[in-house]
Amino acid sequence: MKLSWGSEEEAFRSEIASFLDEHTPEQLREGRDWIGEEADEVPQWARDWQALLFDSGWMIPGYPPELGGRNATPLQTLVYQEELAARGVPRSVHFGGYGIVGPSLLEFGDETQRQLVPAAIRGDTVWCVGMSEPDAGSDLGSLATRADLDGDSFVVNGQKVWTSYAEWAEKCFLYVRTDPTAAKHKGISVLILDMDTPGVEIRPLRHITGNAEFAEVFLVDAVVPRSNLVGELNNGWRITMGSLAHERGGLWLEGVGYAQRALDGLVDLARDRGLDSDPVVRRTLGELYEEVRSIRALGYKGFASFAQGSSAPEHSYMKLAASELRQRLNEFGMDLQGAYATVTDPTLAAQGGRFQAAWQMSLAATIGGGTSEIQRNIVATRVLGLPRG
Amino acid sequence: MVDFALTDEQELLRDTARSLFTKECPPALLRDAFYDVTPEGPAAARSFYATHLREWAALGDGPLVDLALFMQESGAVLAPGPLWVSSSWALPLLRAADHPDADAVADGSLTATVAVADAAGRWEPGDHDESWFVPHLEEVDRVVVVRSGPSIVVVDAAEVVGAPIEALDRTRPLHRIATASGPGTAITEVAFRDATDRATVALSAELVGVGRWLQDTTLSYVNERVQFAKPVGSFQGLQWKLVDASLHQERAAAAVAYAAMCVDADDADRASSVHVAKAAAGGAARHWSRTGLQAHGGIGYTWEHDLHLRLRRAYGGDHLLGDADWHRDQLAALLFD
Repeated sequence: MKLSWGSEEEAFRSEIASFLDEHTPEQLREGRDWIGEEADEVPQWARDWQALLFDSGWMIPGYPPELGGRNATPLQTLVYQEELAARGVPRSVHFGGYGIVGPSLLEFGDETQRQLVPAAIRGDTVWCVGMSEPDAGSDLGSLATRADLDGDSFVVNGQKVWTSYAEWAEKCFLYVRTDPTAAKHKGISVLILDMDTPGVEIRPLRHITGNAEFAEVFLVDAVVPRSNLVGELNNGWRITMGSLAHERGGLWLEGVGYAQRALDGLVDLARDRGLDSDPVVRRTLGELYEEVRSIRALGYKGFASFAQGSSAPEHSYMKLAASELRQRLNEFGMDLQGAYATVTDPTLAAQGGRFQAAWQMSLAATIGGGTSEIQRNIVATRVLGLPRG
Repeated sequence: MVDFALTDEQELLRDTARSLFTKECPPALLRDAFYDVTPEGPAAARSFYATHLREWAALGDGPLVDLALFMQESGAVLAPGPLWVSSSWALPLLRAADHPDADAVADGSLTATVAVADAAGRWEPGDHDESWFVPHLEEVDRVVVVRSGPSIVVVDAAEVVGAPIEALDRTRPLHRIATASGPGTAITEVAFRDATDRATVALSAELVGVGRWLQDTTLSYVNERVQFAKPVGSFQGLQWKLVDASLHQERAAAAVAYAAMCVDADDADRASSVHVAKAAAGGAARHWSRTGLQAHGGIGYTWEHDLHLRLRRAYGGDHLLGDADWHRDQLAALLFD
């Protein structure tokens, strides 16, 4: 056990740190990760940022240069994730293309499909991922959007929901049911859908902050060529969440970095409001500090298992812990503002209304990507070995 | 960036400690230590120390990471004897004063406890006439009395005038003693803090061991106990409670290992990491005590089951050297002051 790795990793750290210090766009600086932007298309600065990362080998460092990387080792990848997380800087404003579609196509796509990968990772092609449906949320396996094979094409009918970036996207990584008679998880396939296909209709879905970040996607007799099938027919369940496997050991860093910045903001806020000698405020912040730091330690402990190639049970807890902590941090940021707690006017609320906005956004953190309840079920059965109910 | 991977030597230390305690510290021994409140109790603890723990006393001179690994295993079985106070707390104080007994405490031929708290439970050097919450007094040879300055006075335990404090955790007896006056040996403030940090992290590691026993025991119980024709561990209402307690436990274990590394390296995070470790470990052991007792139903509430012994140590340990809330207040002081 030790507090640092070698000088090689530290040299790598200063390289990515100076890159970020020099090139991070103004829009992403100073931990502006709590601001959700609404725009009709991906802003040009965001396209430029992602392209620059790709061209400099900093988009997915563990990948080779032609895929936006530099063949980084697992330790170097962790260093990279640490530096991004410490600054709250995202690589992209749309996660699906580089995080899910690219890696999945590399693993499951045919040669033609794999040619789509560089543009997906560079952000030249914007992708959305069509998974959830009105009746298939946590129970994703019951998805009902049908794709019926008709000659050389699939005819797709159904509805997707919570589809992030659907309005921006040119392509969709679409989960469909291709065999309605098979058992739940066995009749699912993945198709590549061009979003301008006739029969595809997008309806923006405004979320609680007022932004329309995600959408409903309606599919009526949309025709998809058979060659757009990813992997084998009826074998799509395996492709669920084919995220960046080699980056999984450090995925938790983003949540911990966020929590640390929120805590820093709370300390400033308490001081500004003259509450820094209030014993209740101090006790609460002391407890939040304890949680942020101990969850961080748990993440690194899990990384040690990950780096040795064994499963990291610690990491099964990280999403649950970080998302619930995030809500408490932000809600406390509102509590510290007294009567101004619910004032959302950025010119009146403390720190530009940061905590009001961040709290609203944090309500999604315990739902998206597996609810806290599903996370608890997973830990109960897979980590603690309890019998299924 | 922190590397939690154990070295081969650390894994060996942990495994050796685990098999030692499995073999030499069966539950029956523990029950005797609890029920035996007669004068033979301290003698039994002394004898256990002399036979099985003496050779481990020198861990107090080495890396805190190693001592913490050992304390987790001793905490899981509630090993009798004064190893914690003697090696993690008294020894660094004796070393700081360059005291002639230090070598003997390090080789285990002598044992020592520490008297620092006043009647209000403040763990700070002072000139109070009485020291409170002195652990394992009847099991040790020396008492290291910390006085203002800070300075230390070392006295023979046999000559100390003291009275037992009846307390929840009877496997860690506490005394209050008349505090020796007379010339002490000055130690630095830094040395006093260092000894306190080592004792605090070692105690936190013990609490992690207590929590681990509670977790393991509770999980096997809910897998076996059948009600409504199902193992009770299959009920979601119970599962989620167990998950939350296990998350607390995992956080605590990681925080304690991190604090041990920070103390060993005298890292910039040292002060905060020690407070985080004790707050998390005390909190987690208490969390598992409550959850474990609830999950065991009636049997956990009785002396028929060993759960109550861990519950006692969990609450007792949380309140030694500052409870979780006290450490959270110290964290707030680091944030603000």
